[in-house]
Amino acid sequence: MNIRKILIVDDEKTITSYLEKKLAKLGYAVSVAEDGEEALEKAFAEPPDFVLLDVKLPILNGHEVCRRLKADNRTGNIPIVMLSAKAQSDEIDEGLAAGADKYLCKPMGFPDILREIREFEAETE
Amino acid sequence: MKDSSVTRIAKLGILTKLMISFLTIACIPLLVLGYFGLKNQQETGRRAVEAVAEMGEQDIRSAQAIGDRAIEDSVLALDEKSTEAIEVRTVELAARIADFLYERDGDLRMLAAMVPDPQRYLRVYGSKLRDVIVQGPVLAPEPDWTVTQAFVLWENPENRLSWRNRPPYDFQTESRQLYKEITFVNPEGREIIKIVDGRISEDLRDVSNRENTYCKAEDYYAHLAGLRRGQIYVSRVVGAHLKGWLYKGPEGIKVNPESAYAGLENPSGKRFEGIVRWAMPVYNEGERIGYVTMALDHTHIMEFTDHVMPTDQRFSAISDAGSGNYAFLWDYRDRSISHPRDFFICGVDPETGRDVPGWMSEKRYKEFKASGLSLEEFVEQLPPFAEFSQRNKGSKEQIEAGRVSLDCRILDTAPQCQGWHRGTKNGGSGSFVILWSGLWKFTSYAAVPYYTGMYRNSKRGFGYVTIGANVEDFHKAANATKQYIESAIKEKGAAMRATTEQTRASIRNTEIKSRNLLSVVALVSALAVVGASVLVSLSITRPIKRLTDGALAMSQGDLEQHIEVKSRDEIAQLADSFNAMASAVAQLDRMKSEFVATASHELRTPIHSMLLAISGILGGYSGNITDEVREDLEIVEKEIARLTRLVNDLLDLARIESRKIEMKKSETSVHEIVQTALEEVSGLAAAHSHSIRTSIPQDLPNVNVDKDRIVQVMINLLSNSIKYGPDQGRIAVEAELVGNDLVMAVADNGYGIPSWAQQKIFDKFFQADSIMSQRVGGSGLGLTICREIIQLHGGTMNCVSPLPQNRFSDLLTAGERKGAVFEVILPLNANDESV
Repeated sequence: MNIRKILIVDDEKTITSYLEKKLAKLGYAVSVAEDGEEALEKAFAEPPDFVLLDVKLPILNGHEVCRRLKADNRTGNIPIVMLSAKAQSDEIDEGLAAGADKYLCKPMGFPDILREIREFEAETE
Repeated sequence: MKDSSVTRIAKLGILTKLMISFLTIACIPLLVLGYFGLKNQQETGRRAVEAVAEMGEQDIRSAQAIGDRAIEDSVLALDEKSTEAIEVRTVELAARIADFLYERDGDLRMLAAMVPDPQRYLRVYGSKLRDVIVQGPVLAPEPDWTVTQAFVLWENPENRLSWRNRPPYDFQTESRQLYKEITFVNPEGREIIKIVDGRISEDLRDVSNRENTYCKAEDYYAHLAGLRRGQIYVSRVVGAHLKGWLYKGPEGIKVNPESAYAGLENPSGKRFEGIVRWAMPVYNEGERIGYVTMALDHTHIMEFTDHVMPTDQRFSAISDAGSGNYAFLWDYRDRSISHPRDFFICGVDPETGRDVPGWMSEKRYKEFKASGLSLEEFVEQLPPFAEFSQRNKGSKEQIEAGRVSLDCRILDTAPQCQGWHRGTKNGGSGSFVILWSGLWKFTSYAAVPYYTGMYRNSKRGFGYVTIGANVEDFHKAANATKQYIESAIKEKGAAMRATTEQTRASIRNTEIKSRNLLSVVALVSALAVVGASVLVSLSITRPIKRLTDGALAMSQGDLEQHIEVKSRDEIAQLADSFNAMASAVAQLDRMKSEFVATASHELRTPIHSMLLAISGILGGYSGNITDEVREDLEIVEKEIARLTRLVNDLLDLARIESRKIEMKKSETSVHEIVQTALEEVSGLAAAHSHSIRTSIPQDLPNVNVDKDRIVQVMINLLSNSIKYGPDQGRIAVEAELVGNDLVMAVADNGYGIPSWAQQKIFDKFFQADSIMSQRVGGSGLGLTICREIIQLHGGTMNCVSPLPQNRFSDLLTAGERKGAVFEVILPLNANDESV
């Protein structure tokens, strides 16, 4: 599958702006949401090909966002990778239980994140 | 000493202390009170009984005294009454005898008034009869003549009180001629008319000659000539003396059967036959033509006394001398003329017509025989009643001869003779008491007031009646009362003593009951106290145990403690405080965990941003950089990695220490653990050119552990060996069973750990060599986390350096290196200590 549109959900602007800038430079269409509600709105309005989802979010947390996206026909098939500072195994389990396709822990280098995205591209092709 | 006892008491549990105090407080006063209560009760009871018994004894003693006094009084009263009664009887008896004798005077006068004629005399003879009581040789049983109520009949209610009634004396009687003989004697003493045995006798004698008189002993003729007209001659009693023998057997004095009649003692004996002669001159036309005489059958006089009983019986058909109660008669010269024992009656020897001497003492009899005097002469010269005493013994010779008639003038063995004589000296009557043969004898006397003929000269008249009675018989009623009182007292005394004994027994019983009750109460109290102390103790110790358990659980990391105590006492307050403390600690812990979690999260975010940027630059996503910049940025990247590890380890440790982490135990093979760990570190090992060997027996049992965590420990140990040792080092991983423990060892031939650091190496942020740490980039928390994990499995960790000589010898090739071994010791059947 070709991943063109990536939705990045994180309330840290430093992170979102860096990723948006670098991924855009690599040819991805990146949209950014800073809270869960915004993430859902954007995802339903224009379903992305890939979601990079933080867990700790204002309004709706990442788990809830993930559940709703996975529950919706429009967004149910979109790969969702959680990227969170919550790194304990029970937190990881909780994320996966909410429907995330992969759970990544912060801190993570940009090349590693990019590799994860490409792995999904490769998987789905 | 004091300290040690205090220590000993201090060592006791609360239950024991409570029991000791409660028992001391509750039971000791109870026992003391009970003891004194019992003692008092016992004492009071004993005193009461003693007092009652003493009162009873006093009552009995006073009853006895009153009884004695009453008996004494009644004896006196009875004595007086009886004396009076017997004296009256005696007097009246004497009067009757006198009357009877005077009637004979009348008979004589009537005869004297007649013209002497055999037919007339015979008619008079035949008309003069008198009943006498008949005693056959065979005795009919004496009827009981005592007073009986059975005969009491009262038709008139006014008569019903105090009845005394006796049946008539139903004695068998026969009429007997009053006179044995009626004669008419001419002045010369020749019998002209003679009526004897109910017919006119032809055997007419000359009575002037004694030989022709009754028992050859009459001398009345001598007195006849001296009689004036109308004057009466009366003789003494004349009869043949009858022999008789007394003997003393074991039952008392008895009468020999050969003896004369003696009433009950010898009813078939020969009876005394005597007469009393009356005579009176008979005139015809003024001329004395002769004398009429009558011989009174003495039986009729004896009849007066023979049936008198001075007892309740009053009269009897046959007298009983042995009983001591009888009447007897003496003549005007104190000679016995009537007695139940006929051999005691004075008489003559019919052969000689002379008086048979009466019984006397041995001494006097000898004197009498030696004197050669006639009886009358001997009596005449004796001082009257000289030396009369019971101490004198009766003459044996007379006893053996059966000549024991009683002639008071010489009967010096019987002092009562003197009494009677003295008493009747001037006629009249009286009584006295004498101790006779060991018994108190009452004796009354009354002169027979018959003064015809020669009796005119005697103040005691014809003689005197005496009645003898046993004083004991007088006292019968009183004695009966005495016996009644004594037996009543005995009964009452026995009853009283029985009651006292019963009371004593009942007091003893009560004592026993009280003692038992006290024991039961004490036992129940003790049990209650024990129960109460157990309850109180439990109410204290149970919550304390819960508090202890809670505190222990808290110390082991389970901070969520709440101790439920239902009571509202100090223990409950303690529990409340504990709960407050626990919740505060738990809250603090939660805050700490939250802080650590938040902090790590918050730290990760900027680290993440930095890493994104640095890694982006190094990955070439931000354009080309010089090698020098790259090198510098690589330092930054490395420190970011170190910082990340530090954050991770801190968070991990915080969670482990607060027991937030759960050990997910499962049956795991040691091989799997080691292989997983080796795979994880293989890249790192290769990077440093280390060689790792393993030595794990195939038959090791599985262990019940959180595999990931134990793998984490092994990785940590292996990483340390890899990172802290010089490159191309040798590392050995071994596992073995030691007892019930699984020992896993990771050994290396690295620089070793100095002995001072071997204990501290597990402490947080301890690093033996800070330069080395910096180079390696460790967090300083790895071994601390390892040890916590192993402890959560109930195991221990240790570190030995340098390597032991005989172990891991294959690792030690280079001389300078010391090497170190870390051992993980896990119990195979460890208690689940993870919560």
